[in-house]
Amino acid sequence: MSAPSAPTRVVPAPPAPLEVQEPELDESVGTDRPWLVIVWNDPVNLMSYVVYVLQKLFAYSREKATRLMLEVHHDGKAVVSDGSREKAEADVARLHAHGLWATMEHSA
Amino acid sequence: MTARFTRRRDGRIDLTLERAEADLIQGLPEQLLALYEGERTDPARERLFPRAYLDPTEEEAEIQWEALVHPDLLAGRLAALQQLRASLEDAEPARRDRVVVHIAPDDVNAWLSVLNDARLALGSRLGVTEDTDLAQLDPSDPESAGKAAYAWLTYLQGELIETLLGDLPG
Repeated sequence: MSAPSAPTRVVPAPPAPLEVQEPELDESVGTDRPWLVIVWNDPVNLMSYVVYVLQKLFAYSREKATRLMLEVHHDGKAVVSDGSREKAEADVARLHAHGLWATMEHSA
Repeated sequence: MTARFTRRRDGRIDLTLERAEADLIQGLPEQLLALYEGERTDPARERLFPRAYLDPTEEEAEIQWEALVHPDLLAGRLAALQQLRASLEDAEPARRDRVVVHIAPDDVNAWLSVLNDARLALGSRLGVTEDTDLAQLDPSDPESAGKAAYAWLTYLQGELIETLLGDLPG
């Protein structure tokens, strides 16, 4: 992410492919594991814009939205919501509608 | 850079633009439309319509999700272009060859969306990274015009977000 007047120096790496789940695992074991919605760092979206979108979409406080934005900025990604597959798919779609780079994955 | 957003008592936001700035914004819908309806493998388009699943074993879910969601995402983006066009058409001339655009409360998200998509697309085209120095542009750089436009759109979007963050709980 960037700030309008003071771009930072971190070049984001593209998200690495996730580890493929072992197909041998019993599907029923994992059905209760939530899906995680992840926002990835990108060099274009403004830090203030990410805070604004997270507050608007998830009704997070300014403090929580700012903490998540900084996690994205410094660590390259952050889990911004979780839930069922359907909820995660809807959250990813809403984030994409706002131009954020979001993906979803099954929690370990 | 003189563009400023002013919040009015009725919730409307007024944006004052120089003529050249208004022309730049006026050109965005056509450029974005070409991108939205262009090649799906264009990296700039892929940035606006990213995958939901990275896990290759979820390819079937990805295909179903895209079939469900992408038409809505596209429709929302096309509607935003129309809203921005309509507010530009109603812009009023102001002193010193400027125009004032009245952005109705219902159109604010459309403006934010178009500005952000334009920056994402331009940033992708220009290969912008967090190292890109937009403060010192080299006029001999063939991309200097694009970079200047990107920098100005960044400034403008930043100003709009500051205005809107005031509406949300601090």
